[in-house]
Amino acid sequence: MTELQADQGAQALEIPHAQAKTQRNRDALIALAVFVVLALLPTVFSSKLLLDFVIRCAAYGLFATSLNLLVGYTGLISFGHGMFFGLGAYGFGLMMQKTGVPVPVAFIATLVITFVVALVIGAICVRLKEIYFAFVTLAFQMLIHSTILSWVSLTGGDQGLRGGIPRPPFLGIDLSNQLHLYVASCALLVIGLYLMHRIAQSPFGYTLRMIRDNAMRASFIGIDVWRAKLTIFVLAALFASTGGIIMALFVSGAYPEFAYWTISGEGIFINMLGGVTTFLGPMVGTVLLLILNDTVTRLTEYHGLVLGIVILFFAIGLRKGLMDFVVEWYAQRRNNAGERG
Amino acid sequence: MLEIRSLSKSFGGVKATDNVTLDFADGSLTAVIGPNGAGKSTFFNLITGALKPDSGQILLNGIDLAGRSPPEIVRHGIGRAFQVASIFPSLTVQETMLAAVCADQRRASVMHRRFPLAETRDRAEHAMELLGLAGKRNRTAATLSHGDQKLLDIALALVLDPKVLLLDEPTAGMGTEERWRMIDKVRELWETQKITVVFIEHDMDIVFKIAPEIIVLCYGRILATGRPDAIRRNEAVIEAYLGTEHHTGAIA
Amino acid sequence: MDLDALTGCLASSACLVTQTTSGFIIGMLLFLVAVGLTLIFGVLKVVNFSHGAFYMFGAYFAMTAYQLSGSFALAMLCGAAGTAILGLIFERVFMSRVYGADVLMQLLVCYAFVLIFDDVVRMIWGPEFKSMGMPAAFQVAPLFIAGGVVPPYYLLLIGVALAAAMILGLGLARTRIGKVIRAAAHNPGMVSALGINTGLIYGGVFALGGMLAGLAGALAAPVRSLTPGMGFSVLIESFIVTVIGGMGSILGALIGALLIGLIRSFGSLGFPLFTEGLMYLFMVIVLVSRPTGLFGKEVA
Repeated sequence: MTELQADQGAQALEIPHAQAKTQRNRDALIALAVFVVLALLPTVFSSKLLLDFVIRCAAYGLFATSLNLLVGYTGLISFGHGMFFGLGAYGFGLMMQKTGVPVPVAFIATLVITFVVALVIGAICVRLKEIYFAFVTLAFQMLIHSTILSWVSLTGGDQGLRGGIPRPPFLGIDLSNQLHLYVASCALLVIGLYLMHRIAQSPFGYTLRMIRDNAMRASFIGIDVWRAKLTIFVLAALFASTGGIIMALFVSGAYPEFAYWTISGEGIFINMLGGVTTFLGPMVGTVLLLILNDTVTRLTEYHGLVLGIVILFFAIGLRKGLMDFVVEWYAQRRNNAGERG
Repeated sequence: MLEIRSLSKSFGGVKATDNVTLDFADGSLTAVIGPNGAGKSTFFNLITGALKPDSGQILLNGIDLAGRSPPEIVRHGIGRAFQVASIFPSLTVQETMLAAVCADQRRASVMHRRFPLAETRDRAEHAMELLGLAGKRNRTAATLSHGDQKLLDIALALVLDPKVLLLDEPTAGMGTEERWRMIDKVRELWETQKITVVFIEHDMDIVFKIAPEIIVLCYGRILATGRPDAIRRNEAVIEAYLGTEHHTGAIA
Repeated sequence: MDLDALTGCLASSACLVTQTTSGFIIGMLLFLVAVGLTLIFGVLKVVNFSHGAFYMFGAYFAMTAYQLSGSFALAMLCGAAGTAILGLIFERVFMSRVYGADVLMQLLVCYAFVLIFDDVVRMIWGPEFKSMGMPAAFQVAPLFIAGGVVPPYYLLLIGVALAAAMILGLGLARTRIGKVIRAAAHNPGMVSALGINTGLIYGGVFALGGMLAGLAGALAAPVRSLTPGMGFSVLIESFIVTVIGGMGSILGALIGALLIGLIRSFGSLGFPLFTEGLMYLFMVIVLVSRPTGLFGKEVA
């Protein structure tokens, strides 16, 4: 390298570093602003239904966005991601019912359990080719579901964890109070999304994109594909588990449906609905699906039929998520503007 | 110094690489030729870890790499580009380069910092300049022309600062003019980067014109090695190529 | 865990016979579903995630036909033929639109149909458990083999399933159409280049797979209770069967299905709470030691 080149290199070093820093600060500020807006929402709309809706959005949104880290960013189509949602709900619920530890301890302990389970299942699954991966993760989901059903003495079988989950106050936060629970859920959602966004925009996030695009090539530039896949599998499981914990707090219990395969199916559909090419696509999909679910349930008992037809419409008819259309429209507009200018 | 010691690999009963022993001196430029099915790509796959050899050694500066995984071998300094450009379709040229440098710096699993890392930029920049891709840095790889995709594939190998660069048919699927441009590029890279380059090539005109060293493979064995003049006059080589289509003309 | 029950059973020939037959029953039903799954995957490279629905429809069709006609043979025929037609329509109208698309789309279309089919059954036959009842012809005294009780219907079920397996195996190996199907599995482009209508082959394979699953459902109808959603656990189990046996292998599906059947029937004695777990455990062991399954080829 000549001196001249070295000099240019040093210049190039400074500018992007500063950019990265402001970018990160901006992301943190946006996250904070979103949290403040969400937290102040109850002062404007006092509707209990709205707060409940946002809490459910937080639970499913964390779950669906974490699934997008696998499906959209890494190309790992997991059809069993819902097992970690169920694991989070049951782990947390059981911990609170049986041991009576403080909420934060139970929260962390549940994540530790999820970490271990995801590590074992992931180590078995991530080596498999796509369709095998999808179905073997699904099989594990069914295993966890059937274990919950048959281990009646611990889990209450098909009745679920009943009798409510004790939620003793800690640090002045009382999660049995709906407002407190609402603010806590919003905080978990915003923190979770912020962390996942950080992961997606980090060097590791780009490693995942490379694996999705061309895993063979990634291994030929020195990337340990298996390790990277396992890492994101476990991380995604932790966020899904957090979603499950919010759900358990919300319903003050845990039910086998939380661990049933349809949760995974819905997660996949949420991703498709919102679109996997943008980070916020799954969040948009979550809101839409929950609204759709609530509407359909009110109108008909044949909820699956309607949902199925909607899915077909998207999968065969549109073949894209809603956010994909927004992105395309935006790119088109920018192109047109460029041509004119 | 890359030394191959009695390397063998067979598929079923077929010996795709049969007891191959070769030396590649540091800074050499070598062409590997041979009829279709001669085992050229298998040879590359064995060196880069895509296939595990049945026996033999692959010594890079004295370290045996035989049977190790592709990421390990890459980290020891053997880079490779593919016959069909192997790239990351949805990443831009610049992202591809930056991500590759990250991987080379063992930062592929860094999560607490934002991509791209500042300290990776100049290397990526340098590689894009070398391959003439700097002007297309914001194009996604999928939208590049065939030739640019091949260049990107090579850039992807080169940006890792390899000691040995293996190019599997860098001119595959190109028109005559584009071929010469590509091969000039390869030669230029070899001259400026002072690395060992081994490439597979079908076009005999190109091979005889630019490669100081030639290896002829046939049915997994080494038929001949040497300078272009010697290869051109080699009886066994002429025999192997006789009757095999247009190559005959080039040889004679 | 109840290892005493298991060892006790293994020591008694009567219990051994009873458990083995019930293992074979489970296994043969699973085989019929799994072989369709594996055939469709082999030729179309699509895992038919809604395959369990065909099993369910087969059972409901058979029940209705039996209630209307009173003929067991007709019930079987309706179960098999009805689902064959359903499979053909499903493939031609819907699945054929997503062959080029990625796996995500294919899974979503199948997922949509799992939901739709379950609700359609709920609409037509109601959400409650139904039962077809044992046909009069088989309401006879059970056979005693080595002291074990074996209902005659079980023998029929095993016989029909085995016959289907043999016809299928021979058909694929010997007949022209079988050769075309195998060629299509190997190289779809080649087959269409030879002027054979791949659409017809694909539809036909789906119909065949649907028919086998429908037959399984029909055969199961007298001995199982019918409910919307009954197909899903069968689907998962037959997927496990194909993973164990190897995707695309008929012999593998047979062996895998019988192994799973025996694991279930003997496992329920020794590990009543962990019967399903045993099945998954076995799958994991196979996957880790032989990722392509016991009879799978390298290209999976």
